[in-house]
Parts: sequence; structure tokens; C-alpha cells
Amino acid sequence: MRNRVREQRTQQGLSQADLAAALGVSRQTVISIESGRYLPSLPLAFAIARYFGLTVDKMFDPDQEAGT
Amino acid sequence: MTTFIRPRLRKPAVTASAGLLFAVAWLVRGGPLWWVSILAVIATAVRVASLYRMGGEDTDEGALVGSRADERQKVVGLRSRALACHFAMVTAFIGLTAAIAIRGNWWWPFLIILAVTGFGYLLGLSSYGSGEPDSDDDANLGAQRSPLQR
Repeated sequence: MRNRVREQRTQQGLSQADLAAALGVSRQTVISIESGRYLPSLPLAFAIARYFGLTVDKMFDPDQEAGT
Repeated sequence: MTTFIRPRLRKPAVTASAGLLFAVAWLVRGGPLWWVSILAVIATAVRVASLYRMGGEDTDEGALVGSRADERQKVVGLRSRALACHFAMVTAFIGLTAAIAIRGNWWWPFLIILAVTGFGYLLGLSSYGSGEPDSDDDANLGAQRSPLQR
């Protein structure tokens, strides 16, 4: 599943550690989500989408493979 | 159970308790090998110190040891424990089979490990599963109709 976490984070000039602290998760988890190796739980997906002011379906695209 | 202890100290505290219990067991046993209890205390102290140090590292292992894992790290920890349990079951089965084949009288510890891990697996299924294998789909109850049935 492709997501726009990295794109949104870099647009806002945030580091992975900043985003991790804002979401209450580890930096390693942000890295895993960005690379598509880990699919976040529904509450975390909502937290990520809300943080960037987007909806979950705008943030995560189930029709596209990660890295495409 | 250990929530009253600071997160970073929880695993080291559990390890220290287990190590000290082991050392006391050797001491109570007595005999010429009583000094093994001293070795156990030293090994426990080294392990506790290394766990405390690891608990402060910015890694998945550090987060798990430091009891501050997030959802992904908890999943990683659970999968690792599941794999360890799988290895224990396979090893116990091999041990039990080998003991039976060569008529060894040391088969029962393997049987106990196999029984306990198997019971744990079944307990997990009943605790974490839905627990309602025969419940009907809402659509069959007549209370609500699925939009697909209209």
C-alpha cells in the first residue's frame, strides 16, 4: 500500500524523529511506515492523516504498491 | 504486574528476581557446588546492567527491553515470542520422539513442555478469538437486511 507520509513530512520540513514524537511512536516505526514495510493500525492511520490535515484515503492508497 | 516500576527498570528487575531465585535454589541445594550460586549472582548482575543499558538505546530491541514499545514494536516482540514458542514446541516434540525411540526415561520433561505450550496456544485462541463459533451472520437473523439482499 502506497502512502504519502514521506511526501507530507518533507513538505512540512519535519524530520522522522519530529513526526515520531508528534505521533507518539518510535522513529523506526515512521521509517517502516514510509517505506511501506509496516501498515499502521487504524487509530495510528487516523492520527497520521489528522496530523497532516488529510483524510485517511488521501494519505494511504490501497490500490498502489509501496514504492511505485 | 510490574507497572509500579519505572519502564526502563521493569525487565532488569524481573531478570534480577529470576537470577536471585536461581542462586537461592543452588544455595538451598547445598553440597560441593554451592559456589554456583555466586556465579549465578555475578551473571545476573552483568545481565541486569546490560539490559538497563540496552533499554536506553534508540532501537526496536531497546524499546522492547525498556518497556516503551509502540504498536509496531509490540507486534515485532509478539512475533518473536511466537517464533520462540514454535521452536520450543518443535524441539520438545523431537526430544519426546527421540526419548521414546531409544527407550530413554527422560521423555516426561519434553511431554510437559509440549503440553504446556499446546495448552498456552489453545488458551490464546479462546482468549483472543471471537469465542462465538456458532453465531449467525446478522443478515440471517432477520433483524437487519443487507443492502445486497434488497
